[in-house]
Amino acid sequence: MSVLNPSPTGLQPILKPLAHHSPGNFITKYIFSTDHKVIAIQFLFTTLLMMIVGGALALAVRWQLAFPWESMPIVGPWLFAAEGGQISPEFYTMLFTMHATVMIFLVIIPILAGTFGNFLIPLMIGADDMAFPKLNMLSYWFMWPAIACFGMSFTFAGGPAAGWTSYPILADLAQAAPGSGTAQTYWLFGITFIGFSSMMGSINYMTTIINMRAPGMTFFRMPMTIWGLFITAILQAFALPVLTAGGFMQVTDRLLGTCFFYPSGLVINNAAPTVGGGQALLWQHLFWFYSHPAVYIMLLPVMGMVSDMLSCMCRKPLFGYKPMVFSMSAIASLGFIVWGHHMFTSGMNPALGMAFVVATMMIALPSAVKTFNWTATIWGGKLEFNTVTLNCIAFLSMFVVGGLSGIFMAAVPVDVYFHDTYFIVAHFHYVLFGATLFGVFAAIQFWFPKMFGRMMNEKLGKTHFVLTFIGANGTFFPMHFLGMQGMPRRYADPYLHGYLEHLLPMNQFMTISAILMGFAQILLFINIFYSMFWGPKAGRNPWNATTLEWAAPSPPGHGNFDFVPMVYRGPNEYAVVNGDKDFVMQSEKECLPASTTATDDTDITETMI
Amino acid sequence: MGKGWCLFFLFWPVAAVASCAMAPLVGWSFPYDNAQAASNLGMRIDGLFYLILIITAIVFVGTQAVLVYALWRGVNNREPRASHVHGNHKLELIWSIIPGAILLFLAIYQMNIWADFRIKKYFPEAAVKAPIAEITARQFEWRFRYPAIGKILQQKPQSDDLYSVNELHVPFGKPVMIQLRSDDVQHSFFMPALRIKQDALPGLQIPVWFEANKPGTYDLVCAELCGWGHYKMKAHVIVEPEDEYQTYLKNLTQQQFYDGLGKVAATEIGTESEATEK
Amino acid sequence: MRVGLSHLILLLLVPLISLAGCEQPQVEFVFSKKTNELMPEAAKPVKKALVEQFGNPFALTQFEGLPTDFGDIQGAVKSVEATGKDQPSIRIQVTGLTDAYHKLQGLPLEWTSGKGQGHVSRIKEYYFETGTIVVDKSAEIDPQPGDTFLVECVRLQFGRDLYNRHCMHCHGMSGEGTGPTSRYLNPPPRDFRLGIYKYTSTKPTSKAQVDDLGRTVKEGIAGTYMPSFKLLTDDEVSAIVNYVIWLSIRGETEKKLVDELFLDYSQKTLAERTSEEGGETRKEVEEELKEYMELDFPDTLEFATSSVSEAWEEANLEDALVIPGTPRVADTPESRERGRLLYLSQKTKCASCHGPQGRGNGTATQDFWTNPATNEKYSNRGLHDIWGNQLPPRDLHRGIYRGGRRPIDTYRRLFAGIKGTPMPAFGGSLSDEELWDMVNYVMSLPYAGNR
Repeated sequence: MSVLNPSPTGLQPILKPLAHHSPGNFITKYIFSTDHKVIAIQFLFTTLLMMIVGGALALAVRWQLAFPWESMPIVGPWLFAAEGGQISPEFYTMLFTMHATVMIFLVIIPILAGTFGNFLIPLMIGADDMAFPKLNMLSYWFMWPAIACFGMSFTFAGGPAAGWTSYPILADLAQAAPGSGTAQTYWLFGITFIGFSSMMGSINYMTTIINMRAPGMTFFRMPMTIWGLFITAILQAFALPVLTAGGFMQVTDRLLGTCFFYPSGLVINNAAPTVGGGQALLWQHLFWFYSHPAVYIMLLPVMGMVSDMLSCMCRKPLFGYKPMVFSMSAIASLGFIVWGHHMFTSGMNPALGMAFVVATMMIALPSAVKTFNWTATIWGGKLEFNTVTLNCIAFLSMFVVGGLSGIFMAAVPVDVYFHDTYFIVAHFHYVLFGATLFGVFAAIQFWFPKMFGRMMNEKLGKTHFVLTFIGANGTFFPMHFLGMQGMPRRYADPYLHGYLEHLLPMNQFMTISAILMGFAQILLFINIFYSMFWGPKAGRNPWNATTLEWAAPSPPGHGNFDFVPMVYRGPNEYAVVNGDKDFVMQSEKECLPASTTATDDTDITETMI
Repeated sequence: MGKGWCLFFLFWPVAAVASCAMAPLVGWSFPYDNAQAASNLGMRIDGLFYLILIITAIVFVGTQAVLVYALWRGVNNREPRASHVHGNHKLELIWSIIPGAILLFLAIYQMNIWADFRIKKYFPEAAVKAPIAEITARQFEWRFRYPAIGKILQQKPQSDDLYSVNELHVPFGKPVMIQLRSDDVQHSFFMPALRIKQDALPGLQIPVWFEANKPGTYDLVCAELCGWGHYKMKAHVIVEPEDEYQTYLKNLTQQQFYDGLGKVAATEIGTESEATEK
Repeated sequence: MRVGLSHLILLLLVPLISLAGCEQPQVEFVFSKKTNELMPEAAKPVKKALVEQFGNPFALTQFEGLPTDFGDIQGAVKSVEATGKDQPSIRIQVTGLTDAYHKLQGLPLEWTSGKGQGHVSRIKEYYFETGTIVVDKSAEIDPQPGDTFLVECVRLQFGRDLYNRHCMHCHGMSGEGTGPTSRYLNPPPRDFRLGIYKYTSTKPTSKAQVDDLGRTVKEGIAGTYMPSFKLLTDDEVSAIVNYVIWLSIRGETEKKLVDELFLDYSQKTLAERTSEEGGETRKEVEEELKEYMELDFPDTLEFATSSVSEAWEEANLEDALVIPGTPRVADTPESRERGRLLYLSQKTKCASCHGPQGRGNGTATQDFWTNPATNEKYSNRGLHDIWGNQLPPRDLHRGIYRGGRRPIDTYRRLFAGIKGTPMPAFGGSLSDEELWDMVNYVMSLPYAGNR
């Protein structure tokens, strides 16, 4: 039990016994733990591992585009020795399908909701654990059957080959493509398992946030991170069942002979014409009804986290807290009525297209408002360029590009040209990598001290940042040009077409950038795993931040806080006079008057209230 | 060091803008020679694109400039504390309403072009009355079925229909309509030069109209993942003057009904040796 | 932990290491199942002969006497780069190759003057922009400025590169029809090694013409995964066809050699001969084989190669074409009715496979047929082609004509049959008018419903 100095205001903290570890053995403490912090770290390691897999798949895709039909390193001699290492076209379809699947379902969504959601929600709202700790544990362990299913799908006919969007009829009928048989079925099972994992998490987060906030933590005193995670959880809860239902229908189509998604009269692979009566378009509606909110699921938590991180690093309150909250809510709600913008050319009624255009254009507005608010947060701040700040600024900078390129696609006639070209690929990589992933790098660096009690290395962090930033822009910015020149997506060999032949040098440049970017992540892994054991020890609040988690020990023991947290104010009270400090924590009752002693803004390990 | 980082974040938008500015000069723009669309509808689409490009360029330059400047000020801030500002209601209103108005304007502005392209009511009448071909997308090629010369295209194949693969001929000088269908999985009829795209959905027959504004040969590619051969679906659309188009159809008719003895025209595909009289 | 220069170097080294291994892949042509069932002492000389005559996919060999357009090109040495004594290769600046295909790596280079005249080196590397060739140093050669050479197989290599890009993933490196994509395709891709092509314009006993293969490549085969490659240029198509026929010739040569040896020297026969009943020892068989190899094998080899080449040459003559004697009979209901009666008659027995209404459901699809190659019955019912695949008879109502939808194409299917399949040739037994009547009937079937 830690000993605390009496606070300068004379108020005594309400102490509570802090069990550093729950009783139990190694298995229940670290493997099948119900402690949200352990689960969060389990999610972190798993998603980092999956990031390597997803990244390797992406590098393979880039290799083929830069050196078409030349022997692919490692994979070529291993799997295609008889062809001299030259990959086959269906292998390429597997590569991009699994790259997207792994990155979306096994990396981004779990790292945001699973790692940061799990770790931060109880700590930031002053709870001692999640509302349903066992459900929480189950939500982590459901990732592994999903990983197993996706892994198994590789072994059948080379892997799923219908894109992560899994459009019927290609995905629906086994004879339509290699990898559309058993492999695709396993892929659907994997999606279902990861869907269960997400749903469990979402229920947990919503319940915890609604019910278990500390006294004084009103909704509008919650940090933006929590708002982001909360709204994300609501999105998950409403959107995911639709994907699960659609996925289930596709499974029955392929295994039980239903025909939800394919009409009659198709002749595929010289087989007899199909007996059907379904509609291929139905899947697209069901799929995008989930997958559009999914992209906001992949964005909102990071938006929230960046808000808190930026505010802390600029030593300034977040500009426009309530507008930020309302913008996130607007993004989420509008997110449910824009799914048709993925389907403008799909053959759905063009009049529907009109409706979706208006909603899509409007959804750009809250994102723009948020961007202005972040910039206004920085304006007038006191800035220090550390790894966290750099990654947050990169988030902001690249999110602008991603968001602006979205406007082109929101205008339907322009989307008619850009749909299924590399322009779209550029857009979503800028938002997913440029915005979300840089935000994640920032968040890892920021909350690492709280997770592991040690600081990550600044030099490595900055080097990793520079290399990743250069690599990412080098890889993804030229994609806009490729899209303008009409290079379609998912082409194993675009140079077959005369009007695309001259794009080879640009693709080679992008591949070199991608290789640089990919290998730069080694620095991140070194940083994480080295610092975990040998980094400089961190105190409770190395960043002098205001939110509740920084009042807990680093790392927090079981039960999180060694006092009962009470919340007295909003989450971003920086630039205030509080004794020596320029910030006041949410759990501090009163600000102290300015002190005459020299300011020493290092951490405040023991001055807790 | 801080100032260096500000310049770092200034450098990349400058590089981005510079590359966009020089893009048309090095051919990183719309495809084909002068980056101009080969159809009037396409040119309207390009116009919309450039309008959005101008708006987004202004916003991009503006936001990045303000960001870098804010960073610069932040790094050089020697005050003991940052400015304690929670927000500014007026600013929020301004930067909500102005972008909102611009976006709403864009949403409404583009409706006409979309309607002209896809709403059947606005298709050119001449094109609708006489569709020139049924295009069947299949794994992994484009099959075309023309009606016999002088006949109207029927939905069911007729015994005198003319068939071709991967090479569509279209008369120049008038809008044409095709019926798009698919034999197996989803494909997409994409002609980059004319800026048109329409997914071919199995079970549906979707009419698509277009009009090229100059004769020539245009690429037709597939733009919806259809399997391992998605990238191989390479076809050409040849827009030629009406008389050449009729000649093509005549030759196609002759070839299609060739019985090994009659002479076949020079546009024969596949180099069959000339038949000799027995 | 301090980030040192060493860490950054390591970071840069890793991607470079992964890029290593960008040399020419070492791939060999596959040998047929039967070749591998020979006893090793018999298989070795066969394989050796094939490698000598045909090489390997990335080490092509020019063999005179084949009807293949190898496309060799004359060149001359401009200058020789000075290299150290212990360098394994020589770099030569050359002239005369600027108009040729850019990728000459792996090709044989026959010296036609100078010390190494007659010797054949292999081009290790070729840099088109600078006109530099790298060959292995060898005692037999000493290139000097002005020496001339012949780069062989240039056109064949051009065809090979096109084939690898467009065809190999289905048809396989050796044209054996087992590329990575092939196992998902129905019908499976053609195995070229039998030299038999289904949709030809030639007489039943002739092979296919170059134009037939060209038409297949350009038009594709409707209803299968063989797509149309119409947008390759004529030159590219002809290069691909050239290479494919070369692969066929290789396969056929292999088959002829193996067939000669299989009866006496397969592993199964060896087991029988050296068993109790056979009474021979292994040594005796080997001696016999050795004698055969020394005395008879060269002749066998020459005969195999020449007979295959002659067959291909003969197929491309005009005589081999099937030309109807009379123009197409008018497509009237009467003609179609005559055709229908012929279809159902005992003379043609079309209905036994194609069914009484032409739906491909004749009684033959329920019988167990005998495999002509092994003389054993197939394990499943129905018809099979010579490659061993199950082959349903065409449903004539579908309107899919794999060999082309022109009347002459259907005529040729009837006249010459479909080679490699049970579809018989009626050219000898039916007159021209009868054939045309049947053509009219068959081609009216898809529209029977929508008159």
